[in-house]
Amino acid sequence: MITLIDSPVANMASITRALRHVGTELEVTRDPGAIAAARTIVLPGVGSFAAAMAWLTSTSIDRALRDAVAAGASLLGICVGHQLLFDGSQEMGTTPGLGLLRGEVRPFDGPLPVPQIGWNRVAFAPTPLFDGIASGTPFYFVHSYAVANAADEIARADYGVPFTAAVRRGRVFGVQFHPEKSSEAGLRVLRNFVQWT
Amino acid sequence: MDVIPSIDVLQGSAVRLMRGEFTLVTKYGTPEEVLDSLEVARGTRLHVVDLEASRSGRPVETEIVRRLARRDLRLQVGGGIRSLHDARTWLDCGAERLVIGTAAAESPDLLRQLLETFGPERIIPAIDVRDGAVRVAGWQREAAQPMPEILARMRELGPREILVTDINHDGVLRGPSFALYRTLRHWAAGCRIIASGGVSTAGDIVSLARLGNVSGCVIGKALLDGRLSLAEANARASTPNAIPERVIPCLDVRAGRVVKGVKFANIRDAGDPVEAATRYEAEGADELVVLDISATEEGRRTAVETVRRVAESIYIPLTVGGGVRGIDDFRALLRAGADRVAINSAAVADPGLIAACAREFGVQAVVLSCDASRDGEVVVRSGRQAAGIDAVAWCKQAEDLGAGEILLTALDRDGTQQGFDLGLLRAVSGAVRIGVIASGGAGRLEDFRDAVETGGARAMLAASLFHDRRLSIGAVKEFLTAEGIPVR
Repeated sequence: MITLIDSPVANMASITRALRHVGTELEVTRDPGAIAAARTIVLPGVGSFAAAMAWLTSTSIDRALRDAVAAGASLLGICVGHQLLFDGSQEMGTTPGLGLLRGEVRPFDGPLPVPQIGWNRVAFAPTPLFDGIASGTPFYFVHSYAVANAADEIARADYGVPFTAAVRRGRVFGVQFHPEKSSEAGLRVLRNFVQWT
Repeated sequence: MDVIPSIDVLQGSAVRLMRGEFTLVTKYGTPEEVLDSLEVARGTRLHVVDLEASRSGRPVETEIVRRLARRDLRLQVGGGIRSLHDARTWLDCGAERLVIGTAAAESPDLLRQLLETFGPERIIPAIDVRDGAVRVAGWQREAAQPMPEILARMRELGPREILVTDINHDGVLRGPSFALYRTLRHWAAGCRIIASGGVSTAGDIVSLARLGNVSGCVIGKALLDGRLSLAEANARASTPNAIPERVIPCLDVRAGRVVKGVKFANIRDAGDPVEAATRYEAEGADELVVLDISATEEGRRTAVETVRRVAESIYIPLTVGGGVRGIDDFRALLRAGADRVAINSAAVADPGLIAACAREFGVQAVVLSCDASRDGEVVVRSGRQAAGIDAVAWCKQAEDLGAGEILLTALDRDGTQQGFDLGLLRAVSGAVRIGVIASGGAGRLEDFRDAVETGGARAMLAASLFHDRRLSIGAVKEFLTAEGIPVR
């Protein structure tokens, strides 16, 4: 079963539907107790890192997520959910994140218009999350901030400047793109995550 | 690809001649002043034309070239080079490369000597082309031989690069002659092309780089007029350009059905929206646009329901527009499953709506839908009313207010399949940094290529073309790939 964090700062309808589509039982919750006890967790998010982190902290879901991961749960962060896994973000000063992964979220400083809105190619070496997908396959991104070169990077993309498109450290995964908006390839990533866990 | 700023010099000044006339001179100051104002950095490749030399047939502005060489610029100098002696004079002044025009087309022996004496790296044969023919002697007359023959002979002599100017595109805003440079992949195979003429937007630079055979582009007027900065040009030239461009089918919906008209009239039924949306995703649509074309209260409620049904059937981004009157409509459509909402007439009536929506929902959610007339004027209320404002100015204002992208529809092309309005597209895409979606007039495969290449669009939208299955999304993407334009 997958535990989907019922975030007020995410497009829940899309991600809920996509996870149902890949054929798993789904629990959509904001109960810290349920989250701390979960085995497989998806953390979605759009918009502001600071707002998303403030919500996690005020609901104690931040602690529940750390407890679950410490107890061996698998976690997938999506977009801002991916960014939240890191030490912190430079969005509006410095906001600490969940600190599950090393790295800092920073604004794009390349030559192309920000936010990046659209499809971009993702390059990776063979890895379970991208099983059955060719390196270079485009995924759908919407973001103004990114981690430049995460220590646990498993995939990268280039938007005038290279950035980390996906990470994995043990059972913790993150993707900067929106798998629920990335058609077949995106659904495959979700299915891979579910099957791997 | 090198971005090569260009200056013409005459009597010690950087100048421009109008229509090639020495009596119609605009002076821009000393070459150094111009280079400083353009922020030309050390190591930049610079194209210098000695106008007096091209008229008189002997080097004149040698002192200027000497001065510029001391600035650590990689100079390529042109202007009436007609002998080994002239060539040596310029090289002694510090020129790195020489551009050989008339002599290259008409004196193969001299060109051979130059290449043998100074090496294929340092000699750049140049041709000026008009309507497929090479022009010589300051464009005054047509060369004795046809272009393919001249090019074949040049190729045999083995220069690394050939500079090609399309005269019809020089100094005007039509964009570079992509078609010409594409044909040169065959006629000048093995030679890299330096493109010259008509380069005026950041998109032009990306499109030239994608051709694959272009090693440099010469930019004059657009830099001098400040339409394009050298920093932006350099950034685009060195940016990887494999980011996919999008193909977007559009569903015009009314009363829960897909409909299609011509120039916003003569509406006919075109099927079920969910069925169409699912089919388009399977065919490779990168995004879907749903436009509510009903104009009644009841119609709007139905449209929200249609959006919900469509959103629940696809796994690609969904943009919804049509009849959005304010922030509440905007929110209702996002809640129904839209990723982005396009606002049109309501934003013209109250531009503050763009800023309000961007603040509330994020820049990425706000699309400005701009319908423009043939004269580039904004038209509102589904094409019924001229708003009395200029489309380019309006799109720029919308970007400043927080629009994340522009959906630009050429009204008189809508449903005609006569091709996108490339002039309108160029004008808008050259004026804003956010993406422009081309809409109205898609008919042939080439239209999609031209919208990106010449128009600078980041996405192309079509409705009836796909509904009636005259072209498939797959066929469009295959064609774009073959033309060197990246797609998903």
